[in-house]
Amino acid sequence: MFETVLVANRGEIAVRVIRTLRRIGVRSVAVYSDADAGALHVAEADTAVRIGPAPAVESYLSIQRLLDAAARTGAQAVHPGYGFLAENPAFARACQEAGLVFIGPPASAIELMGDKIRAKETVRAAGVPVVPGSSGSGLTDAQLIDAARQIGTPVLLKPSAGGGGKGMRLVRDEALLADEIAAARREARGSFGDDTLLVERWIDRPRHIEIQVLADAHGHVVHLGERECSLQRRHQKVIEEAPSVLLDQATRVAMGEAAVQAARSCGYVGAGTVEFIVPGADPAAYCFMEMNTRLQVEHPVTELVTGLDLVEWQLRVAAGEELAFGQQDITLTGHAIEARICAESARLTGERLDFLPSSGTVLELDEPRGEGVRVDSGLRTGSEVGTAYDPMLSKIIAHGPDRATALRRLRAALAGTVVLGVDTNTAFLRRLLAHPAVVSGDLDTGLIDHEAVRLVDSGIPDEVYAAAALLRHSALRPRPAASKWTDPFSVPSGWRLGGEPAWTVHHLRVPGHEPVAVRVRDGEVRVGAAEPVPAALDVDGPRAQLRWDGVTHMFRHADGWLARDGDSWLLKDHDPVEAALSGGAAAAHAGTLTAPMPGTVTVVKVAPGDTVTTGQSLLVVEAMKMEHVIAAPHDGTVTEIDITPGSTVAMDQVLAVVTPAAPAEEES
Amino acid sequence: MQDTARPPAAAKTGAPVLHSAVDPASEAYAANAAAHAELCAQLREKLAAARLGGGEKARARHTSRGKLLPRDRVDGLLDPGSPFLELSPLAADGMYEGQAPAAGLITGIGRVAGREVVVVANDATVKGGTYYPVTVKKHLRAQEVALDNRLPCVYLVDSGGAFLPRQDEVFPDREHFGRIFYNQATMSARGIPQIASVMGSCTAGGAYVPAMSDEAVIVREQGTIFLGGPPLVKAATGEVVTAEELGGGEVHSRVSGVTDHLAEDDAHALRIVRTIVSTLPERGALPWPVAPAEEPAVDPAGLYGAVPVDSRTPYDVREVIARLVDGSRFAEFKVEYGTTLVTGFARLHGHPVGIVANNGILFAESALKGAHFIELCDQRGIPLLFLQNISGFMVGRQYEAGGIAKHGAKMVTAVACTRVPKLTVVIGGSYGAGNYSMCGRAYSPRFLWMWPNAKISVMGGEQAASVLATVKRDQMEAAGQEWPVEEEERFKDPIRRQYETQGNAYYATARLWDDGVIDPLETRTVLGLALTACANAPVPAKDPSAPGYGVFRM
Repeated sequence: MFETVLVANRGEIAVRVIRTLRRIGVRSVAVYSDADAGALHVAEADTAVRIGPAPAVESYLSIQRLLDAAARTGAQAVHPGYGFLAENPAFARACQEAGLVFIGPPASAIELMGDKIRAKETVRAAGVPVVPGSSGSGLTDAQLIDAARQIGTPVLLKPSAGGGGKGMRLVRDEALLADEIAAARREARGSFGDDTLLVERWIDRPRHIEIQVLADAHGHVVHLGERECSLQRRHQKVIEEAPSVLLDQATRVAMGEAAVQAARSCGYVGAGTVEFIVPGADPAAYCFMEMNTRLQVEHPVTELVTGLDLVEWQLRVAAGEELAFGQQDITLTGHAIEARICAESARLTGERLDFLPSSGTVLELDEPRGEGVRVDSGLRTGSEVGTAYDPMLSKIIAHGPDRATALRRLRAALAGTVVLGVDTNTAFLRRLLAHPAVVSGDLDTGLIDHEAVRLVDSGIPDEVYAAAALLRHSALRPRPAASKWTDPFSVPSGWRLGGEPAWTVHHLRVPGHEPVAVRVRDGEVRVGAAEPVPAALDVDGPRAQLRWDGVTHMFRHADGWLARDGDSWLLKDHDPVEAALSGGAAAAHAGTLTAPMPGTVTVVKVAPGDTVTTGQSLLVVEAMKMEHVIAAPHDGTVTEIDITPGSTVAMDQVLAVVTPAAPAEEES
Repeated sequence: MQDTARPPAAAKTGAPVLHSAVDPASEAYAANAAAHAELCAQLREKLAAARLGGGEKARARHTSRGKLLPRDRVDGLLDPGSPFLELSPLAADGMYEGQAPAAGLITGIGRVAGREVVVVANDATVKGGTYYPVTVKKHLRAQEVALDNRLPCVYLVDSGGAFLPRQDEVFPDREHFGRIFYNQATMSARGIPQIASVMGSCTAGGAYVPAMSDEAVIVREQGTIFLGGPPLVKAATGEVVTAEELGGGEVHSRVSGVTDHLAEDDAHALRIVRTIVSTLPERGALPWPVAPAEEPAVDPAGLYGAVPVDSRTPYDVREVIARLVDGSRFAEFKVEYGTTLVTGFARLHGHPVGIVANNGILFAESALKGAHFIELCDQRGIPLLFLQNISGFMVGRQYEAGGIAKHGAKMVTAVACTRVPKLTVVIGGSYGAGNYSMCGRAYSPRFLWMWPNAKISVMGGEQAASVLATVKRDQMEAAGQEWPVEEEERFKDPIRRQYETQGNAYYATARLWDDGVIDPLETRTVLGLALTACANAPVPAKDPSAPGYGVFRM
C-alpha cells in the first residue's frame, strides 16, 4: 500500500477520499486553489499544497502543478476523484511518467472509452447491446426508410447537424416515414442549412441505469450491481439509487455480465461504471450508452448496499492487490438513495423553471445524522461557495432495509439539512422524493423536466415572514449599557398612551418576490394585509422557535436567512423609501435589468442610447455551465449600462436600464 | 470579613421593601377595581376617538392626496418600535362643539435616530390643521417641554395657520401664535435644534415655522409655504398664481432657499428629518446616576383595587408608591413626623426619585417635612415626584395661630425654587393651596398628569357651595331677611354642579392644565419615560463661589 496519496480534487469528493485514506492509514495530501484555502478538504488532509489561483485551469486542471505538489509532498499515488482531470488520459500518462501511480484505469482505457464512437464499436464487438441505428451518412430517403424498418419503430429522425433536440422527429408509424423524413429534411435545411438525417431507435420513457464494475490488474472483473439514475434535470443526475426497482434478477445478472464484458473489452483496471439506457416498458432491451472510467458521484449508494468501500478498493487495486472477492461473494443488502445538494436558486418564470447557480458564505450548517444516513460533504461553516467550480456541495445518502424506508430516511434527512447563506436545492429534492412517481419507482429521465414547476414552492409562508420580522424586531432591543440601565425610549415596545401599542413595520423582500411589509407589536404580527396573528419568537443562538397562531415552528437563522424542513429563504431588508426614489415610477423600475445569478458577463450587445425592442438580447451572463441571456423587457432606449464583457456581477446587481419608449397614446 | 454574608448588590441600598396591606378579597377592593376599570375604559374610548382626528371622510380625503395621516407620520418619523410619550392627547376635549379632536395637533416625545425629541405634528384632517386657542396652548406647551428638557424639536407642518373665527383668542397676546416663533428663535439660541418638515400648507404666520427652523424639509407638490395664499395674492395685487408656483417645494428649495431639502413624498421627508437628527451633536451625560430598572415587588395591577376612586376615602398612599417604584423599595424620610405627608427616596425605571405623597390633610409639620425633604433632593440633585391627593391645609384658629400659612409657604417656596426636575401626578383630589405646595401646574413641574378619578378645583364643590351659602346667609340675615332651606339648596346646587364639571379630569386636560389623563396602570411607564426625557437637561450645579444656604432643619 502507498505511504502517501495526493488527492487531486476538491469539495466533497476530496473529503470523502481523504476519509478512507485516514481509515486505512495512508497519509493524505490535499491540493487547493486560493478560493479553497479555508475549505474542508484542506482541513481534513494531513498535508495541503496550494496549487494556484481560483480558476481551475490554473489550479485543479493544471497537470504540472499537481505533479509538483506530489513531488514536494512525497506522494506515491494520485487519486483524481471525479471531474477535473479524472478522465484525462494525458494526466494518467503524466502521472505514470512522473513515477506516480494514477488511481484509475490505464490511460489507454480512458482514451478508448472517451471516444464515444470507438467505445460503442468496441463494446458491440464484445457482445454488448448498443442503441440500434443507421450507419453511414448522406443516406437517401429510401435508405433511411430501410434502416428504420430494420431497427423497428418507433424511431427518431435526427438531423446530422445541430443538436439540442432541434429538428428531431419521433415516428411511431412506419407508414408515415416518408412524410416525416421530408418534413425533417425541410426543417433541418431551414435550421442548419444541411438536410442530412440519421435514424435511431427511439427509447420510450428511457431510464438511466448503470453498473458499477471493479477490476484488478490480475484479470478479475466483478460488477457491484446497478444504480438507477433516471431522475435527471437537463441530463444532470439529481437522485440516484441502488438497486433499481425496474430490474429483475435475470436482467440484473445480464446487465452485470454485459458491463463486465465492456470493462474487459477495454482492458479496464479499477472502479468504473457502465451506463445503459433502458426502455421503461422493456428493461431487457437495455443498450450500452457509455463507460465512465472513474469513481462516480453516486458511488455511495453502491457502497451502502454492498458494504464495500470503493475508494479503498481503488487504492488496493492501484497498489497491485488482487480483488479479495469474486462475483458470487457480492450481495446487495437493502436499498440506498442519494440526493445531491447543489448551490442553486430555483427561479420560476411563468411555467418555466430555471435553476441558477447561487453563491455565498455558509453562515450556518447542520448536516443530518441518524440511522442509515450518510453525508458526503465539502461544507463547513464559513465555506465560501463561489461560481468557479461545480455547484454540488454535498450528498445526502440514506440506506434502509427496503426502498420505502430509505426514501423516508432520506426525506427526513433533507428536512434536517440546514445550509444558510447559499440557496440550495434541498427543499426541491425533498418535494421530488415525495412525488408519487418517485415513491412508486416509476421513473424516467424526463420526469423532473415535466414536473419541476410543481416541485418548487413558489409562495413564501406567512410564518417565514413573521419569524424574520420578529428576529429583526428582537434585534432592535437595546444592548445593556455599562451601567446596565436601559433607556426606556430605546425599548422597541411601540408603547403608546391608551394601552394600544403602535405597529412597528419591517419591510422584507425575498429575491424574486414582491416586498412585504410585516407589522409587529406586542404579541401580534401582521403579514402584508392579512389579519393580525398571535405570535412570539424565542431565539436561542441560531435556533428560533416561532409560536404562530398556536402552532410552533422551528427555524434556524443566520444573517437574514431562515431555514425550516429543508427549505431556506433569504429575507433581505427592503427600503421602500429608497426603492421609490431609485425606481421613480413603477414603469421605470420594470426597465431595470438585474443579474439573475452571480457570474461573469460574457457578451454585451448594446450601448447607452441604443434603441431596443422587446425581447432583444442585450447581454449574456454566464456562471458555471449556464448562460443566461438578458433581454429587453419592453421597447425603449438603453439609458444605463455600466458593465463590460468580463465584468463579474453579483446577484441582483443592476446590469442595464431600458427606459420604455413613450406610448403613442396614454392608456386610460 | 464575612464575604459570604454580604447582601446582593441590589439590596445594598438598604431601602426597605414596601408590602401591601390591602385585602384583594375585600369588597372595597372589588368596588375600587370596578370603578377604576370603568373610568379607564372611558379614558381609552376618548383616546381612541381623539386618535381618529377629523373623522373618516377627512382622513380619506387626506390619504387620497398621497399624504400620510399625522399619526402615521409620527410613527414613520420615530425609530422602529420607539415609545411615544404623547402630551395632552385629549386637548380641547368637549370644546369647540367637538370640532377639534386633540386640538388638531399631535405632540409628544419619542426617539428619532437614537435620541429623544419633541414632535409637533399638525393634523390637517381637523379643520385643515388650523390653530384653535387650545391648539396654540398645546403647541407652546410642547415647546416648553422641549426647552425645559433640552429636547430637539421636530415640526411636521400641515396647517392653514390661525383659526380665523377665533383670531382674538389666538393672535395677539403674549402666549398666542407669535410665541411659537419667539420660542423657536430663543430655543435655537440656546442650542436646542429646531427642525421642520413641510408636508402640507404652511400659510401666513405658519410660514414662519419652517422659516424659523434651523433646517427645513419640504415635500414636492404637496408642501407649500407662503405669507399670503393665492386668493390673498389675487385680492391684493391681482396676480394669478397657483399654490405650487407661489410657494411649492421647487420654489423654496431651488429659488427662495426657505427650505433646505426637497422630498419626494412624506416617507422621504421623514427619512430626511431622521438623517438631520442623526447629525445633531450628542446629548450630554445623564445628570444623575442610574441603576438597572426593576419591576415593583408589589404587582402594579393591584392599583385599581388598592386606591379608592373617591378622594375623600382615606387610604395609605404607600399602596401607590409600592406599585410604582423599582422593587417596591422605599427609603422613607421622617416616618414618624408629619405623617400626613409621606416622603422618601426610591428608584423608578432606574432613575433616582424623591417622592412627596399626600396621606391626608397638610398640617404645619407635614409642610415642614415636605420643605425639608425637597431641600434634600435639591441638595442631592434627585428629581422629585409629587403624588397629589390633597384637600388642602388644615384650617382653624389653632392652626392659623400656629402659623400654618408661613409653614405652608416654606413648602411652596421649596417647591418653587428647587433646581431639580419635578413630576406631578394627581392621583386623587387637588384642592386649594395643597395644589401649590404639591407642585401644581403653576409650579412648573416638568410634567403633570391626572388619573381619571382625579379632581381639581380651588376647593371641593360641597365646600364651595357651603362657603358661598354661608356668606349669602350672613348677608341676608344682616339685612333681616329670611332664607328658607329649600332656597339655599336651590342656590347651592348649580355651584356643586359647576365644581363637579370644572373639577373633572377631562375638563382639566381639555384646557391643558395637565399633560394628559393617564390610566393608573400606565403611570410607571409614563414616569419612566418622563424621567428619561428630563435626564436630557443637566441639573443646574450649585455655584461654589456663591453657595447660598445649606439645608434648613425645619
